[in-house]
Amino acid sequence: MTMKQTYNRRQFLKGLAAVGATALLPCRFLVPMNAEAAAFNEAEFTIFRNACPRNCYDTCSIKTYVKDGVIQFIEGAPESTYTDGGLCVKGYSYTRRPYSPDRIKYPMMQDGRRSGKWRRVSWDEALDRIAKKILELKEKDGNLLGMGMTKYSGNFGITNYGVEGMMSSLGYTTRFVGTPCWPAGIDAQNYDMGNMWCNDPEDMAKAKYIIVWGANPAWCSVHSMKYIMEAKRRGAKIVVIDPVFTQTAAKGDVYWQPKTSTDGALALGMAKHILDSGLVNQDFVNNYSYGFEDFANYLNANVTVEWAAEQTGIPAKDIKEVAEEFATADPATIWIGYGMQRHTNGGASVRSIDALVAMTGNIGKEGGGARYGQLQTWGFNYHALIQKQPEGSKGFVGNAAKGEFDFTNGTEAQYSDRTVNINKTAQVILDTKDPAIKMLWVSCKNPFAQDFDRPKLEKAFDTLEMVVTVDQFFNETVANSDIVLPVTTLFEEWTVNVSYWHYWLSINEQAIKPMHEAKSNIEIAAALSQKMNALSPGSCTFPQDIDTKEWMAKEFNKDIYSYFGIADWTELRNGPVKAKLKTSAAWPDHKFDTPSGKYEFKSELCEKNGHNALPAFKERRKHYAAFRLLTPHTKFGIHSQFINLDWMQEYDKEPFVYMHPNAAAKKGIADQDMVRVFNKVGEQRVRVKLTDNVSEDCLLMYEAWFGKGNTFNVQNLVDDESADMGAFKAGAPGVAIHDQFADIERI
Amino acid sequence: MQKQYAFLVDSERCIGCFTCAMACRNYYHQEEGIIWRQVYPLAEEIYPHRERAFFSLACNHCANPACLNVCPVNAYTKREKDGVVVHHQDKCIGCGNCIRSCPYGAPKYNPVAKRAEKCSMCHERLDADLKPACVQACPTDALQLIDLAELHQTNEVQYPAGFPKMESVNPSTRFILPQMPKMVRR
Amino acid sequence: MQSLELPLVLFTVFSQAAIGLTLMRAIRVSAGGPSGDAQREWRVIAGLMVVGMIGSLFHLGHPLGAPRAVTHLGSAWLSREVLFAGLFTGVAVIAALALIKENTTALVWIAAILGLGVITSAGMTYAPPALPAINNALPTMFFLTSAVILGAGFGSWFAGKERQPLMTRIFTTALVVGLVLNLIAPCVWISGGTVMHMTGKAWFASGFYWTHLAVLIACLAVLWKNKTIPTWLPVLALLGELAGRAGFFADTIHTATNIGGLY
Repeated sequence: MTMKQTYNRRQFLKGLAAVGATALLPCRFLVPMNAEAAAFNEAEFTIFRNACPRNCYDTCSIKTYVKDGVIQFIEGAPESTYTDGGLCVKGYSYTRRPYSPDRIKYPMMQDGRRSGKWRRVSWDEALDRIAKKILELKEKDGNLLGMGMTKYSGNFGITNYGVEGMMSSLGYTTRFVGTPCWPAGIDAQNYDMGNMWCNDPEDMAKAKYIIVWGANPAWCSVHSMKYIMEAKRRGAKIVVIDPVFTQTAAKGDVYWQPKTSTDGALALGMAKHILDSGLVNQDFVNNYSYGFEDFANYLNANVTVEWAAEQTGIPAKDIKEVAEEFATADPATIWIGYGMQRHTNGGASVRSIDALVAMTGNIGKEGGGARYGQLQTWGFNYHALIQKQPEGSKGFVGNAAKGEFDFTNGTEAQYSDRTVNINKTAQVILDTKDPAIKMLWVSCKNPFAQDFDRPKLEKAFDTLEMVVTVDQFFNETVANSDIVLPVTTLFEEWTVNVSYWHYWLSINEQAIKPMHEAKSNIEIAAALSQKMNALSPGSCTFPQDIDTKEWMAKEFNKDIYSYFGIADWTELRNGPVKAKLKTSAAWPDHKFDTPSGKYEFKSELCEKNGHNALPAFKERRKHYAAFRLLTPHTKFGIHSQFINLDWMQEYDKEPFVYMHPNAAAKKGIADQDMVRVFNKVGEQRVRVKLTDNVSEDCLLMYEAWFGKGNTFNVQNLVDDESADMGAFKAGAPGVAIHDQFADIERI
Repeated sequence: MQKQYAFLVDSERCIGCFTCAMACRNYYHQEEGIIWRQVYPLAEEIYPHRERAFFSLACNHCANPACLNVCPVNAYTKREKDGVVVHHQDKCIGCGNCIRSCPYGAPKYNPVAKRAEKCSMCHERLDADLKPACVQACPTDALQLIDLAELHQTNEVQYPAGFPKMESVNPSTRFILPQMPKMVRR
Repeated sequence: MQSLELPLVLFTVFSQAAIGLTLMRAIRVSAGGPSGDAQREWRVIAGLMVVGMIGSLFHLGHPLGAPRAVTHLGSAWLSREVLFAGLFTGVAVIAALALIKENTTALVWIAAILGLGVITSAGMTYAPPALPAINNALPTMFFLTSAVILGAGFGSWFAGKERQPLMTRIFTTALVVGLVLNLIAPCVWISGGTVMHMTGKAWFASGFYWTHLAVLIACLAVLWKNKTIPTWLPVLALLGELAGRAGFFADTIHTATNIGGLY
C-alpha cells in the first residue's frame, strides 16, 4: 500500500488543528493519513485468453485476470481492433457468472416436472439413468430415432459441436435443425450471390452512405457502432430504417419508420426510382449480373414510388431523395438486420435490398456491400462433431437436412438422422410418429424461452418420457426436465471461437478449474460414453477419456492457419488474430457462387425452391389481433442469457411492454400500469411504459428470462408461423417472429 | 490551472449500453445495490424520445468536493497531482454525511463494510498509466478521460439540462449534448 | 422516501429538548427569583443528551470511530456539531453531578451558548446543497423551534408556579412559529425548482408531516382551553417533534434522485 501524501499548506494547518483538538484520542493515531490503493500491477495476475461464445455479431476477445485461482476481472482484448479493449454490458457480467449463487452445481433429478423437487445425484447415477433409457429406446424401437436432440446458439465454441457428435456416436437420432435466427436472409443471399458473405465490418468507416436496415447495433453489436460513427464523422450520411425508433436510429442522420414488414416494397420503390433516374451501375449489371432486364421489367410493370409510399408509409419524396443519394454515394452500403427477415416475406425483402445494393454497383467494394453475415472464418475440422454411429445402427431412410453451421460433407450411408424443424419444436414433438420422440436432450439452448408457442411447448414436453437438459441455471426448460447436468462456463473449458460478422479468431483457454461438478459438453459426452459402454459394450463410439485442450487443438487445420496467418494455435495465447484479407470487401472480383457465376437478379434456383425467381414484392402476413407485437432483443441479454444474473438486475430490474401514448389513452392505460397482453397463443402480464419510440399500432416487449420469481416470457405470445425462406441453406424455414399480433388491456 | 482529470460524457456518441456501469462492477465487485457508475436516461422534456439519450455518471471529482468538506473524519483527500477525489475507506466511520451532502449522489453506503464508498476514477490504474475501467470499456468513446487544464473548450458544457447545477462544488465532468436525427414517421 | 435515520431523529430531538430546557432555565435564572429544582433539571438535561449521543452512535457504521468525528473542524459542520454537543453534554454532566458546588448563572449561560452552537452547527450540517428545499436557514429554524417548544414544555415541569405563565407564553409562541414554518415551507417549495417541488409534494403526502401538524394544533387547542401547560402535554409535543423530524429526514428529496430530469 502506498502512503503517498498529497498535502498542501491549508490541509496541513487543518491537520494540525485536528491533531490539536484530538491529541487525547488514541484512535487518531491508529489510522493512516492516507489509504490509497497501490498502482495497478499486471504481474500480480495470471492472464488467460477467453472469447465470448454467445450468438452475437461481436464475439468479443476477452482478457481474463486471475488471482489465487479466482477471476478478478476481465476486459476486452486490446489486440483486436474490433473489440478494442472493451466488452459490452453482458460481457462484463461474465466475471460473476461462474460464481453466481444461482448456478446449477451438481447433476440433479426432479421428482415431477415443474415440481421444483430437485435432489442432488452423482454423475454416475444421472448417467446411469440416462444410458438405461437410451438402451431401452433402442431395444423397443430397433433404432434410436425416439431420442431427440435440440441445441442451438447458447454456446458457439467450436468444441461444443461435440453435442451433435455425442448423438452420432450413439446412433441415428432425431435432430431439430434450422434456426430461429437468420435463415430467410441466408437463403436470399444464397439465391442472389451463391453464399452469405459480408464485408469486414471495420470497413464501414470508409462508407459514404450507410443504411442500417432492421438492425440495432447500438444494442446488439456495440463494437460496430464506432465504425458507423467514424463514417459519419467523415461525412457519410446514416439512414436507419426500423419500425421502432431504436438506439441506433437515435444516432443516425435520418430515421424512417415504415410499416412493419413492408421493407420489400420500400426497397423496390427505391430501386424503381434509381432505374427511372438513370442511376443504375451499368458496368455491374451488364458484366456481373444475370437477369437484370427481367428485374427492370418487373419494376416498370409493377412498382411506382407512389405505390411504395402507400405500402410503407414513407413519403415518396423521402424515398426518392434517399434512393438518389444512395445511388450516387460511392461507396454506399446497407446493413441488413436479422430482425427484418423474421417475417413471412422476410427472404423476399432481403432479396429486394440485395438488388438495391447490386444495381448501384456497391457489391464487391470496400466500404460497400449488402452486409448480412459470413461463415468464411468457420473452416474448422469439426473434430468433435464428426463421430461415427455404432456398428449396425439403424436410422432414418432418406436424406437428413443440414444446419447452416454444418460444414461436413454428405455421406452415402444407408441411414441418416431424422431431421425436424427447430422452429416448430412443440408441434414436431406432438406430431412425430414411428417412432415418436420419447426422450429429448437439450444443450446450448433454452427452448422455453426461445421456441414458439410456449403453452403448446409445455403440452409437448409432457408427452416426453425423459428430458435431459445441460445448463448453468434453473431456467424454464430445466423446470420442464427430469435431469439437469451442470455445464461449464467459458472460463472453465478450452475451445475456439469465431464470429459470423467480423474476421477475428480467438482462443478460449481454461482460466479456472470448473466450479462445483460442472463438466463441458464434450466431457459429458465422454462420461456418457463410458457409462453406455459399461452397460452395453459398443453402444457408443464417443472417446471415453478426453482432454478438452487437445480436442480444441484438433479443430485447427492448415487452411485455418493460412487464412489467419499463424503457424500454430498456440500463437493465439498472445491474443486474437484477424484473417489476412486481401481486401475488406466480399465478392471483390465479382465472381459469384451462383449457378450462373453472376449476381442473380433472377434466380431459377429460387424459383425451383418454390419462390419467385425475381426479388418481387410479397404481401406481409395478415393481422390476427389489434396491435402488431414485436419481441426483439434487449440490450441487457442475449435471448434468455445474462438477464437473470444479479449483477445485470442492478441495471435492469423488470420487464416492460412499450406502447405509444395515444394508443394507451384510447385503452385507458397510464404509464407504469400493469397490463395484460394477450392473443390466440396465450397471455403475459407486465408493466407498461409509454413511449413514441413505437408506432401507435405496435406493442413492444423484449425477449428475456429474469430468473427466479419472475415468469415473464414473450413466447407466451409468439406463434410458430414460418418465414418464407430458410429451408434451402439452414435445413428448415425461418420463423415469422415479428409477424405477431396481440391486444392489451389494463388489469 | 492545475491538472484536473475529468470524465467527458459525450451524449452525442453515447448509446446508453451500460457497458461502463458493468465494467466498473466487473472491476470492483461492489456489494449488491451499490452503483458507482450509473447510466441515467434523459427525461422527455430534455430529449424527446424516452430512454434514447443518456448521461453516464459517477463521481465528478469536483474542484470543491462536498464530500471532502463535510466529512468529519477527513476520509476524503483530493490528489494534487491530478485532482482525483479519493475516499480512504479505512478512515470512514460510516456517518453518511457525504452521502447526504453530495448533490450528485456519488458516495454510497456499503451495508457490509458499514462505510461509504464511491468512484475512485481508478486512480490505481491512472498511476499505472491505464485508463479507468469504464473509459477503457466504452465501445463508442462516449466516455473519455480528459484533463481540464488542457481542455480547449468547444462544445463541452458543464451544466447540461438533466444535471444539477451546483456551482459551489464545481463538478469536473463535462458533457456534449445529444443530437437528433431527421424523423420520417407515419 | 429516503431512509428514516431513526438514530438521528432521536439524537436531534433529544438534544434539542435538552438545549431548550437549558435555554428556558437561563431565561428563568436571568429573570431572577426561584428557578425550580436545578439539580433535577440538570439531570434530565444531561440524561437527554447522553441518551441522544448514545442513540446517535447507532447511526454510525463504526461507532468506535465516533471520537474521530471531531477531526475536521476546519470545514465540516458535523465535526463542529459533535464538538459542541460533546462540550454541552460535558457541562450538563458537570452541573448534574453538582461537581461545581455553586450553581452559578455563568454555568447555565455557558451551556446555553454551547447549546445554541449545537443547534446552529446541526442546522448547517443538515442544510447541504444536495437537499435544495432545506439548503437554507430552515433546518436551524426547525431545530430552534423544536428546542423552544420542548424546552418550554418540559420546562413547565421544573419552573415554579410563578414562572408557569412565562413557560406557557413561550410554549404557545413557539408552537405558533412551528406551525407557521411547517405550513409555509412546503407551500414555498411547491412553487420552487423540481427537487423543491418534489420535496413539497413528498411532505404533503407524508404521514409524519400531518402527524406533526396535528400535534402542534392539538397542543395549541389544549392551551387555548387550559391556559396552562398540563403535565402530559410536553410528552405529546415530544411525539409530534419526533414525527416531524422523521419526516424531515425521510421526505426531503435529494437532487440525485432526479438526475436526467429537468431541475
